[in-house]
Amino acid sequence: MTSSRRGFLRDLAAAAARAATPREEPPPPPLRPDEMERYSRQLVLPEWSEAAQLALRDASVLVVGAGALGSPVALYLAGAGVGRIGIVDSDMVELSNLHRQPLHFTPDIGVAKAESAATKLRYVNDQVVVEAYQVRLEEDNADGLVEGQDLVVDCSDSFATRYAVNAACCAAGIPLVEGGVVGWSGLVMAVRPGESACYRCAFPEAPVDALSCADAGVLGPAAGVVGSLQAMEAIKLLTGAAEPLTGAFLQVDLATLDVLRVTVSRRSDCPDCRVL
Amino acid sequence: MTWVRTKVELERLAAGETLEVRCPPGEALENVPRSAREAGHVVAVEGTLVRIVRR
Repeated sequence: MTSSRRGFLRDLAAAAARAATPREEPPPPPLRPDEMERYSRQLVLPEWSEAAQLALRDASVLVVGAGALGSPVALYLAGAGVGRIGIVDSDMVELSNLHRQPLHFTPDIGVAKAESAATKLRYVNDQVVVEAYQVRLEEDNADGLVEGQDLVVDCSDSFATRYAVNAACCAAGIPLVEGGVVGWSGLVMAVRPGESACYRCAFPEAPVDALSCADAGVLGPAAGVVGSLQAMEAIKLLTGAAEPLTGAFLQVDLATLDVLRVTVSRRSDCPDCRVL
Repeated sequence: MTWVRTKVELERLAAGETLEVRCPPGEALENVPRSAREAGHVVAVEGTLVRIVRR
């Protein structure tokens, strides 16, 4: 065999070995100087790091609902540097929304909430890719909407939607932050499907006498607090910078400032997460 | 911003590696050594040069 033929075979073998070896993901590009400046007040935190910031930049998060909870959640996640944010909402902005939904302004009345929210979020952080989905998340489209997301934050206002989101996230193994607010109080819960109790483990059935914000009323700052807590939990789940509220839910009464942390265990008969 | 950039550069180093930061006299020259020490790194200051050994 000639030396050139041996060389050809050696190159061929090396190419085959390279092809057979699973490729490692290349490391993400480091933070640019403008990113260091934009995120400097969180980068300076001892618990924070460039790795945490890059984890946010690489993340895709779906926010279900662009209303009272979705507004602060999406604002803070965009500000913090989550790379891709999807906004799901089928409603139009109404005058009665504006006291508690800070992503929407008076001139937005009649505009689709998903579009109104996306426009503001792009102003907050032009480095974030924002996608607006003007649909109502329901059982039959939930799987498709959550597919490919790293995290879902449920800011919807109905139990049917919450259960649909929970089931889809459990089926796909996608971490979830649940939240709800009415009157002066609210609730937050983080879920790692297959590891911690899911929303249906905590609340197997919707309450029969649940009141909506339209019926019972709600104060804007109460929604702001609960939405901010949801954003915090989302950031914890995405970065690992602090321990998220899994295996429990937090009930907050903004009238008395009482905070109740209720431990929740996984249910062996949970229809959403038992198969994981 | 000097400490933020220094902190991120330190995170990119391995333990025991040294980072040299030239700080202009004033706030940065006070903040960078103090923050680096608070973060547990070994710090030496010579004039405007701050030498930090990553913990």
